[in-house]
Amino acid sequence: MLEIKNLHARIADDGTEILRGIDLVVPRGEVHAIMGPNGSGKSTLAYVLAGRDDYEITEGDILWNGESIIEMEPDERAAKGVFLAFQYPMEIPGVATMTFLRAALNSVRKKRELKELTTPEFLKLVRAKAAELGVSDEMLKRPLNVGFSGGEKKRMEILQMAVLEPTLCVLDETDSGLDIDAIRIVSEGTTKLRGPDRAMLVITHYQRLLNYIVPDKVHVLAKGRIQKTGGKELALELEKSGYADFTGKAA
Amino acid sequence: MNVTTLRTKAESQIREQFDAASASLPGTGWVSALRARAMDTFAAEGLPSRRVEEWKYTDLRDRLREVPAPAAASPGSVTVADIDAALGPVGAIDAERIVLVDGVYRADLSKVTAEATVIELMSLAAMLTKAPAWLEGKFASDGGPVVSLNTAFMSDGVMLKVRKGQDPGRPVLLVHARTSAEPSAIAVRNVISVEVGGKLTLVEAHVALDGAARGALANVVTDVTLADGAACDHIKCLVDTTSSTHLATWNTKLGKDASYSGFQLTASPALARNDINIMFAGEGSKLDLSGVFLARGSEHIDTTLVVDHAVPHCESRELFKGVLADRAHGIFQGKIIVRPDAQKTDGKQMSQALMLSPDAQFSSKPELEIYADDVVCGHGATCTEIDADLLFYCRSRGIPSDVARAMLTESFIGEAVEKIENEDVREAIGTLAIGWLRDE
Ligand SMILES: Nc1ncnc2c1ncn2[C@@H]1O[C@H](COP(=O)(O)OP(=O)(O)OP(=O)(O)O)[C@@H](O)[C@H]1O
Ligand SMILES: [Mg+2]
Repeated sequence: MLEIKNLHARIADDGTEILRGIDLVVPRGEVHAIMGPNGSGKSTLAYVLAGRDDYEITEGDILWNGESIIEMEPDERAAKGVFLAFQYPMEIPGVATMTFLRAALNSVRKKRELKELTTPEFLKLVRAKAAELGVSDEMLKRPLNVGFSGGEKKRMEILQMAVLEPTLCVLDETDSGLDIDAIRIVSEGTTKLRGPDRAMLVITHYQRLLNYIVPDKVHVLAKGRIQKTGGKELALELEKSGYADFTGKAA
Repeated sequence: MNVTTLRTKAESQIREQFDAASASLPGTGWVSALRARAMDTFAAEGLPSRRVEEWKYTDLRDRLREVPAPAAASPGSVTVADIDAALGPVGAIDAERIVLVDGVYRADLSKVTAEATVIELMSLAAMLTKAPAWLEGKFASDGGPVVSLNTAFMSDGVMLKVRKGQDPGRPVLLVHARTSAEPSAIAVRNVISVEVGGKLTLVEAHVALDGAARGALANVVTDVTLADGAACDHIKCLVDTTSSTHLATWNTKLGKDASYSGFQLTASPALARNDINIMFAGEGSKLDLSGVFLARGSEHIDTTLVVDHAVPHCESRELFKGVLADRAHGIFQGKIIVRPDAQKTDGKQMSQALMLSPDAQFSSKPELEIYADDVVCGHGATCTEIDADLLFYCRSRGIPSDVARAMLTESFIGEAVEKIENEDVREAIGTLAIGWLRDE
C-alpha cells in the first residue's frame, strides 16, 4: 500500500513550495488516476515518489508497504519496486538500450536477491516484452531513446516497466504523444501488469486513457493538494467542467 | 656552445648519462655526430619550463626532478605469454606483432607473417649501425627538446615500410614493453612509411610487465610518412599503473590524397605529454585525430597538437575527450595553422572534459593561425560534470550511482573510441578504457 501523508515539498534551489500537504492512499491491487491542471504539481509528486533530489520534503511522509521511503536513494526505491515512467524520458547517447535494460534489471534483481539472468534468458525476456509493446529490434539496438519519436520513447518507458516488474508504478502522462493505436498497446501492456500485489498511479490529462486502464479512483490535484477524489466517472465530469472549481479561475 | 646556464639536477644527469652511454649507443660516424648535435641542441635550452609557450601547462623542468639511468639491455627472460598478459585485450587483436623490450627490438618475441613484398621491417639499431647516408635525412633537427633528447639517446625502434599499393590486411601491433626492475629511461625511435597507395593500421601499445619498476621514463618518437594516396590508421594506448613518465611524439607528414586517422588512449601515467605534429604536404588529404585521456590522483596528461595546413584542399578533424578525477590535470592544446596557400582548408577541432571531482582541472588552449581567406575552421572546448538528470534517470531504474556514473562516463568517451575503424582494435581499446573507469 502506498500512503502519502501530509506531504509538503519544495524546490531545493529556490525554496518554492510545490506540494502543499498531499494525502493519498493507494492500496495494492488498485489503480488510481491523478488529473489536474498544468503546473499543479503532478510531475513533482511523481519525482518526489521516485526520489529526485531537486525537491526537498519539508513535512509529511511517504510509506510504501508500511516503510518510509523518503530517506531512500532512487535506486533503493527502484529495488523496493518503485517505478516512474517519465513524462519526458531522457536520451542517453552512447548507451545501447539493451545494455541499459540489462544493467537496470541486474541491479534490481541483485537487490531483490534474485539471480542474474543469463544472456539468452535476458534476450528472450526483453524480446518477448518488446514484441508485445511494438518496440522493434532496431530500437533495441540504438542508444537509449536517442532519436526516438515522442511516442517511441513512451513505449520504451513501458517496456522498461514490463522488464523490471515494479510493484508501485507511477505513469506520468504516458499517454501524451501516443497515437490512437499506441495508447491501446501501451494500455494493454500496463493492464497486464495489474495484479493484487501492484499499485498504480496514473497521471493523465485525458479521460481516453482511463477507458483502457480503468481506475479504481480518480484524484484531482490542484495547487499542490488533492482537491477531490471520486470514482472513474469523475474523469468524465472533469472533461466537461474543467478545473475551474479547483483553481478559482474560469476554465 | 655556451651551456653554462644553471642546470637542474635532471639536466646534469642527462648530460652525464649521455657522456657515459654515447659510445655504446648504436651507430658511429654521422650517427654519433647527429647524437652529439642533438644533445647540444637540447642542452642549449634544457628541459622546457612553463615559460616556453608550448609547455605552459607542463613544466617539465620542474616536474622531472630526477632522470633514471638508460635501461640496461633486457635480460632476455621475457616470454610471449608475459607480453600477452600485459597486453590484455590488445593482445587478442589478430595482428602482425613487433615487440620492443626496454627499448630494444626483440625478434624472438615478434611475429610478422606478411610477405617482404608487402612489409619491410628492420630494427632501427641495425640500421643505425649500418648508417646508410640516406637515413640521416630521416631525423628532424628542430623537433623540440623531447625529440632532441630522443635523437641523442635512441637505442632502437623499428623501421617499417608498407610497399607501394600494398596492404598487410591486418593491423601491425608494435609493443613497447618495460620489464626493468630498476627505474630506467628508454628512448625509442620508430620510422614508419607507407608508400604510394599503401595501407597500414599500426597499433602502438605501451605496457609494463609484471615486476617492472615504478617511476620509469619513456621517450618514444614515431615518425610517419604517407606517400600520395597512402592511408594509415595509427593507434596508441597506454594504461599505466606504475607511475611512469611518458613522452610520446608523433610526427606525421601526409602526401597528396593521403588519409591519416590517429587515436590515442592515455590512462593513468604520473605524467604524459603527447605531442602530435601533422604536416599536410600534398593536396586533397584527410586527417582524423581523436583520443581519450583518463587521469585520477595527481596524474597529469598533456596532449599538444600542431596541424599544419601548408597546402590547399585538406581536411582535418580532432576530437579529444578527457575524464578527470581527484586532483588530476588534463591539458589539450591544439594549434591549427593554415598557410597563405592553403585555400579550401576545412578544419574542426573539439576537446571535451568530464570532471569527476571539483579539484580536477582541465586546461584547453585551442589556437587558430589562419593566413588564407577561403577556409572553414572552427574549434570548441567543453568542460562538464555528469548530467544530474541523466544520473537520476538511471538511478530511478535501479542502477546504483557508481554503476550509473560509469555508464554515463563510458558513453562520454564512446564517441571518440568509435572513431577507431578496425573493429578488433576498437573493442580492445574500449575494453581497456572501460576497465580503467570501473576501477574508479
Ligand atoms: N525543478 C524545478 N525548478 C523550477 N520550477 C519547478 C521545478 N519543478 C517544478 N517546478 C514548477 O512547479 C510547478 C509544478 O510543476 P509540475 O511539473 O509538477 O506540474 P504538472 O502538474 O506536472 O504540470 P503538467 O500538467 O504541465 O505536466 C510548475 O509551476 C513548475 O514550473
Ligand atoms: Mg507534468
